[in-house]
Amino acid sequence: MSDSRNVADVLIIGAGMSAGVAARHLTDAGLRVVCLEQGEWVDPGNLPGNKPEYEVLGSGNWYPDPNVRRRREDYPLDVSESDLPLFMYNGVGGSSVLYGGIWARALPSDLRVRTLDGVADDWPISYAELVGWYQAVEAEMGVSGLDGNPAYPPGFAVPLDPAPIHRTGLTMAHGMNKLGWHWWPGTNAIPTRKYGEQEQCVRYGICRMGCPQGSKASTDVTHFPAAITRGLTVITRARVAEITVDERGLATGAVYFRDGQEHFQPASVVLMAANGIGTPRLLLMSTSRRFPHGLANSSGLVGKRLMVHPYASTVGVYDDELEDWLGPAGEHIGSMQFYETDASRGFVRGAKWSLIPVGGPLEAVDKWTGPTSLAEGGFWGEGSAEEMRTSIGHLMQWHIVPEDLPEEQNQVTLSTELTDSDGLPAPKIHYRVSENTRRIVDFNLARTLEAHEAAGATRSWVAGRNHTSGHNTGTARMGDDPATSVVDRWGRSHDVPNLYVIDGSVFPTSTGVNVGATICALAKRTASHLVEQARHQVVGA
Amino acid sequence: MTGAVQVLDDAQRAGLAALADTLIPGGSGLPSASAAEVHGQWIDRALAARPELADAVLAVIGTVPEPVAGLGWLADLDRSLADRFTFAVAGAYFMNPVVRRALGYPGTAPRPLLAAPDEAEFYLDDDVLGPVLARGHVFRQPPEEPAR
Repeated sequence: MSDSRNVADVLIIGAGMSAGVAARHLTDAGLRVVCLEQGEWVDPGNLPGNKPEYEVLGSGNWYPDPNVRRRREDYPLDVSESDLPLFMYNGVGGSSVLYGGIWARALPSDLRVRTLDGVADDWPISYAELVGWYQAVEAEMGVSGLDGNPAYPPGFAVPLDPAPIHRTGLTMAHGMNKLGWHWWPGTNAIPTRKYGEQEQCVRYGICRMGCPQGSKASTDVTHFPAAITRGLTVITRARVAEITVDERGLATGAVYFRDGQEHFQPASVVLMAANGIGTPRLLLMSTSRRFPHGLANSSGLVGKRLMVHPYASTVGVYDDELEDWLGPAGEHIGSMQFYETDASRGFVRGAKWSLIPVGGPLEAVDKWTGPTSLAEGGFWGEGSAEEMRTSIGHLMQWHIVPEDLPEEQNQVTLSTELTDSDGLPAPKIHYRVSENTRRIVDFNLARTLEAHEAAGATRSWVAGRNHTSGHNTGTARMGDDPATSVVDRWGRSHDVPNLYVIDGSVFPTSTGVNVGATICALAKRTASHLVEQARHQVVGA
Repeated sequence: MTGAVQVLDDAQRAGLAALADTLIPGGSGLPSASAAEVHGQWIDRALAARPELADAVLAVIGTVPEPVAGLGWLADLDRSLADRFTFAVAGAYFMNPVVRRALGYPGTAPRPLLAAPDEAEFYLDDDVLGPVLARGHVFRQPPEEPAR
C-alpha cells in the first residue's frame, strides 16, 4: 500500500454535486483539499445530446441506472428487493451531470413534518436557517426563474431572468387558471445568458443526458474547475474501500483502489459525498474493532430510512403544435397546488408537479409503450404513423414528485451476492413504495389528468408510475440526538468528530421537491461551518 | 461519434424489413419502416450506438417465422425481448432525417435562448399570472422554530 503522507486538510469522498460545492468553498478558504472519485471527467464532446442517435445512446452508456450503464466505475446495485431501480452517475459532477436541472428549494413545512403532520421527524434546522445558503448556491449554479412565487415565503428570488414558458407552459397555464390552481414559470439551474463558466442554454431539451453545451449547472462545470485553480486535487478512477480510524476513533483518511493498486490518502477531516447510496455503503464497509457495525453507526441508522421519490407522470395529446421537445428541460412551469397536507385527501404531505418537455420521438413513443403506461391500445401496427403525426410535437407531460416518508425497513445494506470490479460488496437496496406515497401519487395523477383536460387535451392518460428519480436520501440522517440520528445539524458524525456527511444522506425527511438545491445548500453550510470552526476541529493521527 | 457497424447480413436485413413494416407500415405522410431504410444504414447506426441491442434484433429475426403479417408475432415474444427489438427499430426509424422532416421534428438543433429579447415576457402577457398572484401565498408556515 502506498502512503504519500501528504496529508489533506480535507478529504472528500466523491466528486459529485455536494463535493463540488464544498470543495470550491474550502479551497477558497485556503484549505488543502483532495477528492477521491471512482469515475472520470466528462468529455462534453462524448455527451449524446446533440447527435442524431442521441435517444439511442441515452438509453445505454449514458443512462442514469448504473446497472444499465455498467461502466467500470459503476458499482452494481442489488435491487432484488426493491420496487424500482435507482439512478446515479459516477464521475466528476456526479448525478448533477444527468439531472434535469430543476431547482426547487424545500418549503418551510418540509422541515417540520412532525410538528405539522404528526409523522416522521422535524429537521434540526429551519427554512429560515437555510435561506441564505440557498441564495449562495443559487448564485453559484446559475439559477434562472421568476421572482415572487407565492408557493414560497416572501423574498424568493434567483439571480437570472426566467426562460420562456413556451407554448407548452402557456397552454397548461390557461388550464390551471381555469381550475384556479397554482402554477409558476419554471426555476432551473440553467442560465438564460452566459454566466461564469456556464454557457447560455441553446434549448436542446436533453438536459437529463448531460448538457453538451456546458450550460446546465453540473459541478464539473460550475465548481470543480475553479476549485482546481485554487489547489484542489481530484483523483479520478479512485474507488474508496474504507474510511480508516485511529485508536481514538478519529478518521485518518481513506484506502482506495486505482487501476488495481491499493493506496492510502491521509487526511485531517473526511467529508462523505458519495450520495445516499454510496455513503452508507462505505460507512457500512468501514468496520473496525471500535466500530464493528460500521463507521458512525452507533445509532444503527446508517443505511436506514432510504427515500427515493418514486415519481409518476401523465401525458396529454393536444391539437396545437407545441414543440414539446424544446428546452430547457428543466421544467417549463411547475405547480405546488397539492404540495401541502390536506387530511381530507386520505394521506399526509403532497407532491410537486413539473411540466417537462417530452423530448424526442422515441421518448414520446414510450408514453404509450412504457412498462407502467396505461395508454389504451397499442402503438405499433396500422395507425402508428397517424399516431406519430398527431402526437409527436403535440404532447405535454406532468411529472409528479411525491414526498416519500422515512421507514427503517427501506434501507441500504451490503450485498452478499454482488461485488464491484474491485471486489468490494455492492449495496443492496431494500425499498418498497409505502401506502402513503402510493396515495399521494394516485391523487395527484388524477388531478394532473384534470389539468390536461382543462388545458384542452384531446386525450390524456397515466404514462407511468414508480419512475426512478435519482433522489436518494435519508440514509445518514441529521438530528440533535445521537441515539436517533447519524450526524448533527452541521453534518458532523455524532460518533466521529472529524467525519462529516454532506450529500443527500443527511435528509431527515425527503421533502417533496427535487433535492439538488437542498443538497447544495447543506453542503455549502457544512463547508462554511468547517472553515469557521477550523481552529477547534479535532483531527486524526 | 459511433461508426456504423454492420452486424446483419442481407437475409437478416430482409427479415428485419418485413418485421419492421408490421410495426410501422407508414401512411399519413410518413414512410414505412422499410421505405425509411430502417433495415439499412439506420439500424447499423442504432446498433453502433447500442451494440448490446444486436442480440435482441438477431433473436427476433431468427425466431419469427416468415411470412409475417399483423402483430401477432410481437405479442408472442417475451416482453423484454419485444421491447428491445421495437426500441431498436423505432430508434433507427426516427434517426432518418426524412422521417424527422415529415414529423416536423428538427432534432436537437441549437436554438437561441431567447428567440427575442422579450420572449419570456411574451408568454406572460395578458396577465396570465394574475389569478395565481391574486390568490396569494399557498404555503404553510410552521408555528415556531425548534429549540436549539
